[in-house]
Amino acid sequence: MPPMTDDRTRPSFWRSLAELEGESEFREREKSEFSREFEEAGDGQPDRRRFLQVMGASLALGGATTACRWEKEEVLPLSSRPEGIVPGEPRFYSTSMELDGIGTGLRVTAVDGRPIKVEGNPLHPESLGAASIYQQASVLELYDPDRSTDIVRRQTGASGANWGDFDNWLRGAIGPFRSRRGHGMAVLAEPSSSPTATRLRRQLLSSMPEIRWVDWAPNNRDHEIAGAVRAFGAPMRQLCLYDEAAVVLALDVDPMNPARPGALAAARALTRGRQPDQTQTMNRIYSVESCFSMMGALADHRLALRSGDIAALAALLDARLSARIGARADLGPPQVEPELDLLRTERCSRFVDSLVTDLLNARGRAVVVTGPRQPPQVHSLVHRLNYLLGNVGRTVWYLAEPDGSAAGPGQVSALTGLVDAMRRGGVEFLCILGGNPVLDAPADLDFGAALQKVPNSLHLASYEDETSQKTTWHLPRAHFLEAWGDTTAWDGTVSLAQPLIEPLYGGRSIIELLSILIDGQAKGGRQLVRETHGQLPDPVFRKALHDGVMAGTAWPRLIPSLRPLGKLNLAEGAASSDTLELVLAVDSNVYDGRFANNGWLVELPDPMTKVTWENVVCIAPNTAARLGIADGGRVHLTANGHSVTVTAVHAPGQAERSVKLALGWGRTAAGRIGGATRLGVPAAGTNAYVLTSARQGLVIPEASLRATGERTLLATTQDLHAIDQYGREATNARLGMIVREATLGQWLSHPDFAKTAVHHAPLLQMWQPPVSYEGHRWGMSIDLGKCIGCNACMVACQAENNVPVVGKEQVARGREMHWLRVDRYYKGTPDQPEAAFQPVPCQQCENAPCEQVCPVGATSHSHEGLNDMAYNRCIGTRYCSNNCPYKVRRFNYFNFHLDLEKPENQVKKMVYNPDVTVRSRGVMEKCTFCVQRIERVKIQAKNVRRPIAEGEIVTACQQTCPTGAIVFGDLSSQQSQVSKLQALDRSYALLEELNTRPRVQYLARIRNPKPEST
Amino acid sequence: MTTLTDVNAFQGAPQGDNVFARITDNVSRIAEVPRPPRGWYIAFAISSSMLLMFLANVGYLVFTGVGVWGNMLPVAWGFGIINFVFWVGIGHAGTLISAILYLLRQTWRTSINRFAEAMTIFAVICAGLFPALHIGRPWLPYWMFPIPNQMEMWPQFRSPLEWDVFAVGTYATVSLMFWYMGMIPDLATFRDRARTRARRTVYGLLAVGWRGSSRQWHRYEKAYLLLAALATPLVLSVHSVVSFDFAAAQLPGWHTTIFPPYFVAGAVFGGFAMVQTLAVPARQFFGLKRLITIDHLELMNKILLTTGMMVGYSYGIEFFTSWYSGNEYEGFAFVNRALGPYAWGYWTMITCNVVSPQLFWFKKLRRNLWVTFAVGVLVNVGMWFERFVIIVSSLSRDFLPSSWGYFRPTAVDLMTLAGSFGLFFTLFLLFCRYLPMVAMAEVKVAVAAREAH
Repeated sequence: MPPMTDDRTRPSFWRSLAELEGESEFREREKSEFSREFEEAGDGQPDRRRFLQVMGASLALGGATTACRWEKEEVLPLSSRPEGIVPGEPRFYSTSMELDGIGTGLRVTAVDGRPIKVEGNPLHPESLGAASIYQQASVLELYDPDRSTDIVRRQTGASGANWGDFDNWLRGAIGPFRSRRGHGMAVLAEPSSSPTATRLRRQLLSSMPEIRWVDWAPNNRDHEIAGAVRAFGAPMRQLCLYDEAAVVLALDVDPMNPARPGALAAARALTRGRQPDQTQTMNRIYSVESCFSMMGALADHRLALRSGDIAALAALLDARLSARIGARADLGPPQVEPELDLLRTERCSRFVDSLVTDLLNARGRAVVVTGPRQPPQVHSLVHRLNYLLGNVGRTVWYLAEPDGSAAGPGQVSALTGLVDAMRRGGVEFLCILGGNPVLDAPADLDFGAALQKVPNSLHLASYEDETSQKTTWHLPRAHFLEAWGDTTAWDGTVSLAQPLIEPLYGGRSIIELLSILIDGQAKGGRQLVRETHGQLPDPVFRKALHDGVMAGTAWPRLIPSLRPLGKLNLAEGAASSDTLELVLAVDSNVYDGRFANNGWLVELPDPMTKVTWENVVCIAPNTAARLGIADGGRVHLTANGHSVTVTAVHAPGQAERSVKLALGWGRTAAGRIGGATRLGVPAAGTNAYVLTSARQGLVIPEASLRATGERTLLATTQDLHAIDQYGREATNARLGMIVREATLGQWLSHPDFAKTAVHHAPLLQMWQPPVSYEGHRWGMSIDLGKCIGCNACMVACQAENNVPVVGKEQVARGREMHWLRVDRYYKGTPDQPEAAFQPVPCQQCENAPCEQVCPVGATSHSHEGLNDMAYNRCIGTRYCSNNCPYKVRRFNYFNFHLDLEKPENQVKKMVYNPDVTVRSRGVMEKCTFCVQRIERVKIQAKNVRRPIAEGEIVTACQQTCPTGAIVFGDLSSQQSQVSKLQALDRSYALLEELNTRPRVQYLARIRNPKPEST
Repeated sequence: MTTLTDVNAFQGAPQGDNVFARITDNVSRIAEVPRPPRGWYIAFAISSSMLLMFLANVGYLVFTGVGVWGNMLPVAWGFGIINFVFWVGIGHAGTLISAILYLLRQTWRTSINRFAEAMTIFAVICAGLFPALHIGRPWLPYWMFPIPNQMEMWPQFRSPLEWDVFAVGTYATVSLMFWYMGMIPDLATFRDRARTRARRTVYGLLAVGWRGSSRQWHRYEKAYLLLAALATPLVLSVHSVVSFDFAAAQLPGWHTTIFPPYFVAGAVFGGFAMVQTLAVPARQFFGLKRLITIDHLELMNKILLTTGMMVGYSYGIEFFTSWYSGNEYEGFAFVNRALGPYAWGYWTMITCNVVSPQLFWFKKLRRNLWVTFAVGVLVNVGMWFERFVIIVSSLSRDFLPSSWGYFRPTAVDLMTLAGSFGLFFTLFLLFCRYLPMVAMAEVKVAVAAREAH
């Protein structure tokens, strides 16, 4: 057994002082005074001059220092501190996280060897400095006490196996297969585009070519790839340059949904075209979709259509556009205009007329895009539309899919073949690398039963989940923050992933396991990654490690030639006009179920419904009325012969005769949050995977819904109680004052509309404000035109500020603790609604109503204009919350950190930001404008007697906002970005008529619907 | 007005027709008989069990967190503050009867003022507990007191809650002094009649050396008059200040200039209703029908009718003002109050507080004990709901519809409310048993004055 293995099975991130005093330990620490990376670089001797050079370059490049996993010295006392490392000082490392084959570059903050905060890497094309909710919440998963800690060998019932036992077993077990060139062995892996994983996979398959290798993820790209093959004869991926597009048409897809590749970059690019302040022009977004998405909310024109009917709309569009543009011999014949009633409705024809005109006007500057729900034929038609409009080569490019993951018949059919083989006994040894197929494989395959027929199986997973409980071996997987690796972004850019901490529970990564499968040698992750990029000289590798991206690795952009398409089969996947369509989708929060035990995500409200802690059936109010289904009523939902009981929610904007249910909930082996039968924890939400089938995609044309007559109390963060008629009327009356909106034309003719939206008495002060502001005046500007409602800021805030997770019952009581919330308002009629988002942090009022009423002065005004909260002065009268018109204050009704007392939860403490107090019971808390970040920069600047640079202080919400909607800064400087934004004519203060004089101002949202006349 | 001829003597009352002696005996014997009436035991058993429930719930709250109540966001004040305002309101009648009616020379008050004052004290005790319990850290309410400390941490004097501390604190202190001082001559009577050493000692200590000399009486009368004068503005101030908790906030439905007089009228209304609720059974149980006569009850019913209409006027004028202001948020707050999710609370309040006292237009009903008692109870319920409506309906729907919510009380809320009645009645029953329930000395003065005519 190699010594490394032994060492790593212990969760030894703390180290005693006695060990420190050991002579050998001392020497070792001296040796790795700098990071291991430098130690191993070059001739093995750390070169101090070189180190300083790189360090300087690093600081200049990313404002971050470079390093890799530290050795255990990280938490030693300061008796002899390594140069450049100050305990308590945060350090930043670049790494990247892969989600179903797409890597996103990250910059992770570590304090004293603990990663505590994940942010985006500005240099990475997928991130551009932003991080989605999944990436940000990943750090909570790292310290999840429910993560698997032990190797479990189920057959013998023996516990306490270690990696050495496993390696020995594996060497023996794999022998027969090696001689049979892998016959009888199969690998079921989650999709990965990691160059190292791809290399090892190829290596494995070359030594044992008969291994059946299958990739599987429920959020797969089968349709997309099949569509590209249909259109181009080869798997291609589409790269949309939204920032250069004047007109964007999204067909049943939300490109900004973090479950989509390139979501963060798409969000930034799409909203970049929506800043009319300088150019006075905007892009125009059309969205046709069955379920209200963030894209639908951002769109200027939205048409709710069943997913199954969208093919017909695409065909209609192709027919109309081809007729107007004229025949293009190279693109083949156009579609015939479908004769369908649903396309003849007034709303639909108006939408299509306006869309056709706009697309024609924006030829070469438009983007048409569709998503994984749509069948391959729609994908191929979308490619055709882009060619027809001349977008390709300008706003739309194509990239060749890398070989490996994407090629082949598609994941569903490969998985079906594998399950068949398993059932026939053709698989003797199945390695499941990541994923959770017992939960998420199409239900009709009954993967779990087939797995029982496999004599030897292993599952490498972070949790001992549904799949692990049925395999003969369960192996703990190292979290990506614990392991070496590499990833590929959507555009091909390669990033390295470096560990920030030793594996807490001794897990291994997929590549480490693959290397054992290949030759029985347990190689370290770093070695494997370095071998993959062996052609790179050390300095280049180090720079790539530091930057988080490998420069120049993006794939070339191509313009493949389009094949003529046949006529679309509109009957495929389309529901008949009177049946109910069921749309299944990976959840906006728990994704395909892998984040179901992540409290930050489980308690995060759904962007549209604002429901937490469960999945609900979204149903259009009219359809619900027809079926007699109450808002919040429990229903039986039946599809593919299976039925689930779930709560229905009236969701304005959902297409008629179409319902949506999110996958990924209803876990039985997730953990204490997501549900675990073993621990007696009921599942959060309902498992919708039981409705899936391999024959159909995620759109099921025929489903039925039946009310049970029961109702439940949903844990929602908005509309906590059904809103009655008077409440609705009042909401509608106020909406124009709260979220100020205008069309581009209205704004151009009335540039000050936002300032005059509310008529109120002159706002006078009885006396001079008691606080005189000296130095800085912190302020914030939030652009409602750019907010897409993705909730990334909420998770960022939760991570930065140690905001607790309170549980479903508490959320149902309205006691959620999010310092920053994103309000969602519907406008218009329930069947054709528009939606607007409004992030609401503490407004940091200058005339703060909260400060006046606190009897003990626990909240008071700083001379920089912040509403400071002194937690230890607060006695919890909650008067401040009552008097806050924005209701941004949050109260600790209980000690929400009581669970930390339990021994198994000690590890959860490691995620806390040491700069922020963990609040106990009975005190009020609220957004502080990340005062700890302000103070840190102030101290740094003061130490060297320099002024604070513009943009140097970045709040957590601002940092991660993919669209840059949130800007924080100093209002006392006229040159600061926030001053300039607050000086814009569309800047307004929320509820300004109350004379609270908030420091947060909103930029009114300008929308760009097609003017009626043209 | 008190008629002596029909004072109903206990068995074994002193012989002769000395009216003063009969008054003394009548009142003192309540505290002297070896066993109180059976009804007292039943009442005490019920109320002390409720008190026990109160203590259990408070213990649970203190150990677990204020989240055991239904308070949430946006309704951060729930039963805690409702109960506080409710009990403070109850506490009004006592001082009003004692002080204002004393200054106005309303001698009929003498038969009810003592236990009305006791009621005040006990109600203020109940009231004072709630703000302390409702705060997030119930072990720290003393931070609201201006205690000099080395950190120079002072309360924040701009906060209406801080004004409350002083207003309620002053009111409680003065009420207690007023009650106790008024009781001294009667305590001395108890001392003098005491047959056991323990009673002699305890009542002796409480009587602080009262001998009944004319000099003492002179001083007593002066001091009583001064305290009455001091207490009178407090009747108006304390509930005005309590109303500032709401009026000084900017929440629609709270931010109203009418609140101080409206709250004072409501407090008097509720206080008198509580006196009725207690007086009707008390005179029945303890044989005080001839001291607390039906005439007294009728007079108080007239006050209930008057203050009930004042309260009704306030309810109406609030709607007018909110409509007349043209303010979107104010207007909605009141529409929502009457027609929104808490309409049931609002109409309970209107029925109890505005409709039920209208029965008292009829003399026959004013003099009917059952009607008096029933209306008293209804008005108490209505006044509790008035605070519920003001606090909960306003908070649940304020400016931004995104933060609207719906408050649901928990079982602990309900048990704590019920338990506070247990505390109140336990104290009241102990008072009935051990202290002079009727101001003997004052009744005698009133009799003397009447006899002189």
